[in-house]
Amino acid sequence: MERKNTILAILLIVLALGLVILPKNNGHKEIDPKVLLNGVVERSRYLSVDLVTHRIIENDPTLMLIDLRPADQFKTFALPGAINLHPDSLLTQSGTDLLGQPGKDKVLYGNSDLISEKAWLVCSRYSVNRLYIMKGGMNEWFDTIIKVKPATGTPSTTDLDLISFRNAARQFFVGSGETTNTVIAPVQKEKVPVIRKAPSTSAGGGC
Amino acid sequence: MIGPIISSGIISPAWDNLFAVILGMGFGFALESSGFSSSRKIIGTFFGYDFVVVKVFFTAAIVASLGLLYLSYLGLVDFSLLYIQPTFLASAIVGGVIMGIGFAMGGFCPGTSLCAAAVGRIDGLVFFGGMFIGVFLFSEAFPLFENMYYSGSLGAKMINSVFGISPELFTFILVLAAVGMFIGATWIQKKVKKVEY
Repeated sequence: MERKNTILAILLIVLALGLVILPKNNGHKEIDPKVLLNGVVERSRYLSVDLVTHRIIENDPTLMLIDLRPADQFKTFALPGAINLHPDSLLTQSGTDLLGQPGKDKVLYGNSDLISEKAWLVCSRYSVNRLYIMKGGMNEWFDTIIKVKPATGTPSTTDLDLISFRNAARQFFVGSGETTNTVIAPVQKEKVPVIRKAPSTSAGGGC
Repeated sequence: MIGPIISSGIISPAWDNLFAVILGMGFGFALESSGFSSSRKIIGTFFGYDFVVVKVFFTAAIVASLGLLYLSYLGLVDFSLLYIQPTFLASAIVGGVIMGIGFAMGGFCPGTSLCAAAVGRIDGLVFFGGMFIGVFLFSEAFPLFENMYYSGSLGAKMINSVFGISPELFTFILVLAAVGMFIGATWIQKKVKKVEY
């Protein structure tokens, strides 16, 4: 290699080695209280259950669902792809590694908004970005998506579309529920009478 | 924390397109000044007489990695605000194979074909036209490929997390690999008969 290329290669190796041996910045950086207060007042942290459901069905790779409920409830039922994280573990190494993943929208949910709001406040204070709350939690999700309410009065097209989406989403999560109770009668073999065709013409005498 | 300047709200996202044009011009200038508008130069990688493509792209990758990690360490860039292209494994493999074949056959990748077309090279213009026909056919036939296109979704996956190592250690290994490749490529280039173009 030429001399200048050798110097550049050595410089790059030294810089890369510097990254490995430099002490890590593990301290949590707290954000400015004014910024935190603005975030609390704003409601942009809330995502509706319909929006979250839509993103689950679409298999959105940027969506990261964080289930803050106890482990036994998580095992009983959880949203597809959700990760169970106890609120006490939010600021541990595993919690910060999880929440610090780039390119992900972290959506917190519990049974209601109570735990999610606390978790959001703690994490936002320590500069976790792209952090959202599924509004209403699992209770709201179950009431909206699984127990779909029929339209009342004269619904608009938007309402009908929304109900149609929720019905489709319910089938996505729990199946149509129509096949299990349907009794299928045994099919009796139908006897097909064989009709033999009579020869149309008898062989005539040859010449 | 000042970066990324658009994602962190310092500059309005309305400026996205202007930045795209400026960065695109800079990228095009770098490609042209590295000689990437010549298909013979690019194809030299496959025949062993010119490794400038591998050298330029490897250098770009390690300089960008080191720069980002140092800026993040100094608190100037917030890693969590960076957009990371999600990984779709199956389509990435199939697309990589098709792109590799096209690269070896045509002597251009999409970006360099635009550079070649811009300086008036006929092979670049033909490649560029072919690329648009390919894009049109793919778009029309997309329903046939849709399942494969979205299969193997891994989300915004970072390669260091696949190996379970820190980004800093991975970058160090990448720099060592790049320097090793520079030395190896120079050695091969000396052994292979020179091609004048």
